[in-house]
Amino acid sequence: MASKLTWKIWLLIIFLILSILSIFNFSAFFKHGVSISSVEPNSTAFSQGFKQDQIITAIDGQSIRSIEDYTSAMQGKFQSNQTEKSIFTIRGGEIIYFSDHLPEITVAGISKTKLKLGLDLVGGSRALIQAEGQQLSSSETSELVDITSNRLNEFGLTDLKVRQVSDLQGNNYMLVEIAGATPDNLKDLISQQGKFEAKIGNETVFVGGKDKDIASVCRGDPTCARIDSVQQSSDGGYVAQFSFGITLSPEAAARHAAITGNLSVNASNPQYLSEPLDLYLDDSLVESLLIGKDLKGRVTTQISVSGSGTGATQDEALKSAEEEMHKLQTILITGSLPYKLEIVKLDTISSLLGKDFIRTILLAGVIALLGASLVVLVRYRNIKSSLALILTSVSEILIILGIAALIEWNLDLPSIAGILATIGTGFDDQIVILDETSHEKFLSLKQRLKRAFAIILGAYFTALVSMFPLLWAGAGLLKGFAFTTIVGITAGVFITRPAFSDIVRKMLED
Amino acid sequence: MEKEKFKANLSKFHDKYYKALLLIPAILLLLSFVYLGVFYKQNGDFIHRDISLTGGTSVTINEPLDSANLTLALSDKLEGLSVRNIYDIFTNEKKALIVETKSDSDTTRVVLENYLGHELNEDNSSFEFTGSALSQSFFRQLLIAIILAFVFMAIVVFIIFRTLVPSAAVIISAFADIFMTLTVFNIFGMQMSTAGIVAFLMLIGYSVDTDILLTNRVLRRHEHSLNSRIYSAFKTGMTMTLTSLVAIAAALLLVRSFSPVLASILTILVIGLVFDIFNTWITNASIIKWYALKKHGQ
Repeated sequence: MASKLTWKIWLLIIFLILSILSIFNFSAFFKHGVSISSVEPNSTAFSQGFKQDQIITAIDGQSIRSIEDYTSAMQGKFQSNQTEKSIFTIRGGEIIYFSDHLPEITVAGISKTKLKLGLDLVGGSRALIQAEGQQLSSSETSELVDITSNRLNEFGLTDLKVRQVSDLQGNNYMLVEIAGATPDNLKDLISQQGKFEAKIGNETVFVGGKDKDIASVCRGDPTCARIDSVQQSSDGGYVAQFSFGITLSPEAAARHAAITGNLSVNASNPQYLSEPLDLYLDDSLVESLLIGKDLKGRVTTQISVSGSGTGATQDEALKSAEEEMHKLQTILITGSLPYKLEIVKLDTISSLLGKDFIRTILLAGVIALLGASLVVLVRYRNIKSSLALILTSVSEILIILGIAALIEWNLDLPSIAGILATIGTGFDDQIVILDETSHEKFLSLKQRLKRAFAIILGAYFTALVSMFPLLWAGAGLLKGFAFTTIVGITAGVFITRPAFSDIVRKMLED
Repeated sequence: MEKEKFKANLSKFHDKYYKALLLIPAILLLLSFVYLGVFYKQNGDFIHRDISLTGGTSVTINEPLDSANLTLALSDKLEGLSVRNIYDIFTNEKKALIVETKSDSDTTRVVLENYLGHELNEDNSSFEFTGSALSQSFFRQLLIAIILAFVFMAIVVFIIFRTLVPSAAVIISAFADIFMTLTVFNIFGMQMSTAGIVAFLMLIGYSVDTDILLTNRVLRRHEHSLNSRIYSAFKTGMTMTLTSLVAIAAALLLVRSFSPVLASILTILVIGLVFDIFNTWITNASIIKWYALKKHGQ
């Protein structure tokens, strides 16, 4: 082979090295440990400091190198129902864990790549939300996004993305994406307006929201937020009662005093006032609280809010009451959403088939690549051309993945379909180069390559412009396809195919 | 020498009949129009849409369930029910079941849980729900995207060749490609999904490649005769299309039983590429030859 590599080949080599640096997480090859892939919200583990993406390197001094190490370290621990202490060494610190049960975390090996895979491959949930019966403007949607992220964060969900998307017709949506495990009540959390009102008769005493009438809400403190009782109900199920305290703002407390001041004492039940305090959530009555007669006309900032949860067994009722309490607390803190919402698309994807999917797609890609290079081998009877062709296509895939890793693009199914499409056009272009260089021998090689690139550029621009509309159509759910295709064909035309034509030239000159 | 003789005969044949050859795509295109017209009249739409474009719920249950039993038991409970299995690509064992219905996701969940006798959660199933208004809007936008893509492509083609007839020939062949593929798609009784529409978008790019190659060789080169320029373009173009066809068909065989989404994209591409061969080397080639002969008298 000719001695010197051309600058075009060097450019390709540099891009390949950069791509590989961008894709792979080299530190993972040398460091040991397991990373925390999720922490259950509001769990003991969460409150004791476990966070997603922390890397556990040892437990009680025993080094952890793999998931198997973690599993065996956990075996036999926390089985006596008594509080135990465990020291988790994490990179950059340690967590001393006190509990009677295993930490509510899931762990995974440290990822060897920096690629981010989409929800449709790794599992998770995605919801597209619009206001019911009205079109929101861009600024209204962004306000909605702020309030919703605040609510979800208050609820303890941190590993999620809430953002605004719009489409070709100018519709605005709120998109909520959660990777990994999906909370049971996600649907309620994101779509419930959460308009909380406390009324006496027709008069509003206070409404939910820390910026409105609520000064503080008691949470996670058993002295003022707890399950009070569990009882069997007449239909055989169980009902659990919860209550928690809230502090009203001075204005709301004054309002409470003014309204109760006008009430009389209940004739049939003289302990209480004549009208109850009714709690409404989204216009439906949740609870009616009797007001003690001592509170008549008093300015009080302390109010106890109560409610209940039901279930077929005692445990289920307890769990449901806890969830209800948690939801109500969140709503009281964050206040009402400005609009009634509608979930127009909700996907909850299991992670189980994802691995098979990736394996199948990789295999399909390899088979497609081999099939195509076989056709080229038969046609040109030259193994070097076939090898160069495969090399170029693999380089293109590496560059696409490198750029995707660099800008943290989520590689979902449409993105992967786009990569396959790129390989296809890549082949077409390379065949044009091979044919143009092997014909018309009376022209200089340079002229022949120039001709090849006239065709390639024409094809490139038509493909490029035909992808643009897809970047916006359908709330951007298919933009992964357009993105990888555009990156792929652009890298192809400006980096890999010029290098390929130089490689072909070298082969011909030899 | 055999080869030279073949080329000469082909050349003679083509010189005599290339205008007549144009009748074939013209008739096919006309038949496609009639077929799609009748189809539209019968169905009120020019394609059968699947739930990704009409709205509804798609559930993947990760269990080797029997699709026929489930269909029998639930077809009156779930609206527009369609059920299919997906198989492992190596062992060909049933891997999971995909249930598609126009019912909403809560209804579907209750009906399926009652039938299966256990809860469906994220460890054993995936739920995808799309509201019907949103699906309608998706569908409209994807159509707009295709039309825009086609218009943009046409503009670029005009900019590249700067002459009416050759540019129009490229655009007509691309249009015929899409139109004929759509017709065959309907004849096969296939259902259009969002992924299917994306495949049509890909088809625009793929079909224009060979047309640009042909037009470029015919108009921009002046060595050799017109026929041998067309023939050399044909050789390159056929290698291009055949390579793509082999690659896509191989991938299709593999994913066919595993991913309905990828399978529908690949099937549409296979049909489209076959029509691309036809439209490039009959439709486009005849028009461009006619044009070149008229213009340069070669």
